[in-house]
Amino acid sequence: MKNILLTVLLVSSTFVSAQQYLTREARLNFDAGSPLEDIEAFTESGSAVYDATTGKIGVQVLMTSFQFKRALMQEHFNENYVESEKFPKASFKGTYSEGNVTGGLTIHGVTKEIRVPARLNKESGNFILVTSFDITLADFDVKIPSAVANKISKTASIQVQATLKNISK
Amino acid sequence: MRRSLYIFLLSLSVLSATAQEDIFDLLDEESESAQYTYATFKGTKLLNGQTNETPGQGVLQYIISHRFGSFTDEYLYNFFGLDNAHIRMQLDYGLSDRLNMGIGRSSVLKTSDVFVKYRALRQKTGANPFPLSLTLYSALNYRGARFTDGIDHNNSDRLSYHHQAVFARKFNERFSLLLAPSVVHWNLVPGPEDPNDTYHLLIGGRYKLNKRIALTSEYAFSSNRRYGSGATEVRFHNPMSVGVDIETGGHVFQFHLSNTRAMSDPLWMAQNPYNAENGSLFLGFNISRVFTVDQ
Repeated sequence: MKNILLTVLLVSSTFVSAQQYLTREARLNFDAGSPLEDIEAFTESGSAVYDATTGKIGVQVLMTSFQFKRALMQEHFNENYVESEKFPKASFKGTYSEGNVTGGLTIHGVTKEIRVPARLNKESGNFILVTSFDITLADFDVKIPSAVANKISKTASIQVQATLKNISK
Repeated sequence: MRRSLYIFLLSLSVLSATAQEDIFDLLDEESESAQYTYATFKGTKLLNGQTNETPGQGVLQYIISHRFGSFTDEYLYNFFGLDNAHIRMQLDYGLSDRLNMGIGRSSVLKTSDVFVKYRALRQKTGANPFPLSLTLYSALNYRGARFTDGIDHNNSDRLSYHHQAVFARKFNERFSLLLAPSVVHWNLVPGPEDPNDTYHLLIGGRYKLNKRIALTSEYAFSSNRRYGSGATEVRFHNPMSVGVDIETGGHVFQFHLSNTRAMSDPLWMAQNPYNAENGSLFLGFNISRVFTVDQ
């Protein structure tokens, strides 16, 4: 009897985790440039998780992992704008359903509820997540000094691309 | 038996419940990638001395520095010392994110210099944290000023060297500290008793008041405090300075008060004749501008 229960337990726990998908190599881009200045960065070390049973989906990235073309711009991004020392991570935690993700987006320590279109397709056992959306920097309390206000866009467009693999594999 | 069944069912439900809630916890199990500490200091120089920082790859940096006349030298007549300004210009380039080379020219003794700076170790957090940064710095200085002692000198007499290891740590987003053991070598010293090699320990720090303004300070201990003896004795004083860093985009403005006027390393560090206790204090500034040449 005990053995049966143990088996049930083990099977059910693997069943649960079998629905979970993960990557540590999510690619995120953002563009907050203006006609006066290119401000673009990317990282390929974002984390993304998806639970196919519950529809829960999460993305998280270390702010210091964003690579800029210019070293000084990268330093300013971390030090003056998103304050990576205080707020090291940005994350999204929510749910996916029918072509949309809904949930809390946290940047610079500020969480805002968003609902944006996203593609989440299953391809050869992996989930491919693709989404692109705009955020308003002021919503996340990212302050732009007036001296450079015309160089930095008030909105940033963010792209996410991730191939999430089944955890149990 | 029934009891253990309940316990198993309970643990099963707990387990499956946690497995679902844990999905977001998986995000926090970060990848092993190192996160290098950035902006330990704002500039590649703190006041007179070097910091652990170098410009990034493909970045050209220009620094112009002035040291004004002394408060004790007819200060108003000399327009707050501006009329007696010494100047140094520096142009340097980031060959990689770690390697930096440059040239400089100072008006004191018409000294030209060439230097190389290399970030050997970088402070980082993450899977393999490291508590401090180490940057190595070497400069070769050439005295352009004519000798006035009437002796025919070799060109090598004009050379001096400065080698330094800058250990730096960013303790938090406001406070950073550096310790830099240094050795200065002079090919030519005034007398046979005078050491060609002198050793120095530079201590420097910065405290950020806000995102763009920081207070800085610097002090150097020296192994040698005099050249010559008796009538020809020249006493040296440990260099000390306090300043403020103001950062505006691609510029860093560094204003300071110090007891030094020369800006080539061997001169301000090893042969500083000015005694702050006698009021020999000088205002000065460094202004840096960076240009991203190669993206």
